[in-house]
Amino acid sequence: MDPTTAMYVAQGVHGLAYGMLLFLVASGLTMVFGMMGILNIAHASFFMLSAYFSYQVLAVFGSFWLALLVAPVVAAALGVLCERLLLRRVHAFGHMGELILTVGISLVILEGVKVFWGTESLPIHVPAILEGRLALGGLDYPVYRLFVIGLALVVLGVLAALLYTTRLGMVVRAAVSDSGMVNALGVNVPLVFMLVFGTGTWLAGVAGVVIAPILTVYPGLADQMGMDAFVVVVTGGLGSLWGAFLVSVILGELNAYGVQFVSQLAPVLMFLFMAIVLAFRPMGLFGERE
Amino acid sequence: MTPTALRWIGGSLALAALLAYPYLFGIYFTNVFVTFGIFALYAVSFNLLLGFTGLLSFGHAMFFGAGGYGTALALTHFKSLPLLPALVIGVVAAVALALLLSPLMVRVSGTAFSMLHLAFAQLMYVLALKLRAVTGGEDGIGGFRIPPFRIPGLVNVDMKDPSSFYYFAAAVLGLSVFVLWFVTKTPFGSVMVGLRDNPNRVAYLGFRVPQTKAAVYLLSAGFAGVAGSVYALFQNLVSADALHVLNSFTPVTMTMIGGVGSFFGPILGAAIFGLISELTSRYTERVELVVGLILIIVIMYAPQGFMGLVNAARARARARFAPGGATELAR
Repeated sequence: MDPTTAMYVAQGVHGLAYGMLLFLVASGLTMVFGMMGILNIAHASFFMLSAYFSYQVLAVFGSFWLALLVAPVVAAALGVLCERLLLRRVHAFGHMGELILTVGISLVILEGVKVFWGTESLPIHVPAILEGRLALGGLDYPVYRLFVIGLALVVLGVLAALLYTTRLGMVVRAAVSDSGMVNALGVNVPLVFMLVFGTGTWLAGVAGVVIAPILTVYPGLADQMGMDAFVVVVTGGLGSLWGAFLVSVILGELNAYGVQFVSQLAPVLMFLFMAIVLAFRPMGLFGERE
Repeated sequence: MTPTALRWIGGSLALAALLAYPYLFGIYFTNVFVTFGIFALYAVSFNLLLGFTGLLSFGHAMFFGAGGYGTALALTHFKSLPLLPALVIGVVAAVALALLLSPLMVRVSGTAFSMLHLAFAQLMYVLALKLRAVTGGEDGIGGFRIPPFRIPGLVNVDMKDPSSFYYFAAAVLGLSVFVLWFVTKTPFGSVMVGLRDNPNRVAYLGFRVPQTKAAVYLLSAGFAGVAGSVYALFQNLVSADALHVLNSFTPVTMTMIGGVGSFFGPILGAAIFGLISELTSRYTERVELVVGLILIIVIMYAPQGFMGLVNAARARARARFAPGGATELAR
């Protein structure tokens, strides 16, 4: 294969890897929105928190795999605590209060991270097995990107199986489409919601650990990923998992090729895409309500 | 004394205090007051959307920033531009941006409205950082000429003098707040509140909902532009920080602290917010940590803000002293 094509394919793989991570973050966000109508501004903060936890685990125990196992769980536990102790109590005051409350949480996490770990970027090294490049069909791929795509696909496969083949998954899907009715049928919706919130935060946490070796860990991480995830959720349609998946992949590729062709304006492309979609479909691609 | 006479006396006293302020408190507190005034207007313009029309914007900083950049760019590129036209150019920049966004924004509400503003403000922030040739990137535009306030043959006041600038800022900001207050008292103001409470009914009554929303949106953006423009003149600098998402959250916090349900709540909130950041910045660099905690506490325990607490206390006092009030309280 000639070098130009090889470069395009490599960029495509980068874009796919980023899109997958984006979907890991955005899926939790869109599910929580679907169930409770809350767009959790602090969602990306837990993503960042997990990256910092993984740095800490790596510094203490020296194992990336342990970090991948532990950090997202701790972040998810903190997320569930926030939901139980803070979010649930202001539910009665309406969505404005919830939205602003999550802004408060995200500010506290952002500044708390700076207090504990400082403001510089902390590097994370991947295990030797994930370093280097892999020759496949006449092309060289960085092993880590392939690992990222594979991991994301496995996690999503398991989740999709849970969501579409089990009874619990059915309850969750029903609650996303009409939580009031499910509640009336005798299902403990707040409990299900806690589960979904925890799982969503865990997904974001996994993305946080996995992205740390690529971008390093720094306090701006939440801003960068958070903004992209919001664009995904709004453009894909609030509460729509498929919309989120499609737009994540599109944005990932848009970013990858954008950096290559119009590097200065790459971040603008994403917003342009959103503006065009929303101009024709204010509810997003697959959205059914605001 | 009649209430009207009392009001006149109170108003005159407040005006006298405002005029004497720079002489009584010195330069430092004069500048503190100008900063407070700027953010008070910024918060009031924000609350026109949130409190009166029910639209929560997470990107109001883009209008604040547009005002600032508009004025700064105008003063950098036009060598003999007077003060007021420079201010007007800033406002026009903010309104033009709002006009550009309004066809999209009036069609959405609720969470989508908030998120779109977050996203577009972030876009503006990124643009301000990347278009280095125009905006100066991270350093921003600074050191531009601050023209004197001049009416030919009448006055010629140097705006580099802090107390003259104080009077100029107080006049511009005070007038802006008055105009906004007046608007909320007009029939148009009632339609705004109607949009918040029941847009369907407003449409049924024959008002054009999208157009009305757009008018409120432009008004709010324009006065945020005034605040941003005065801010740029005051600092003699405008940088990408003015467009940063934290600057979008500032009026949200101020409004929530002061009380979202009232016109003067955000002004009170700006004062409390200023006091808190002034005090905490002496002990820690992490002012936002305190801001976030306060935001959480306010939402949890006083969702109507400080004004809400005041009103509740007033209602309680009234119930206690009114005849038969005690039974009403017990109910």
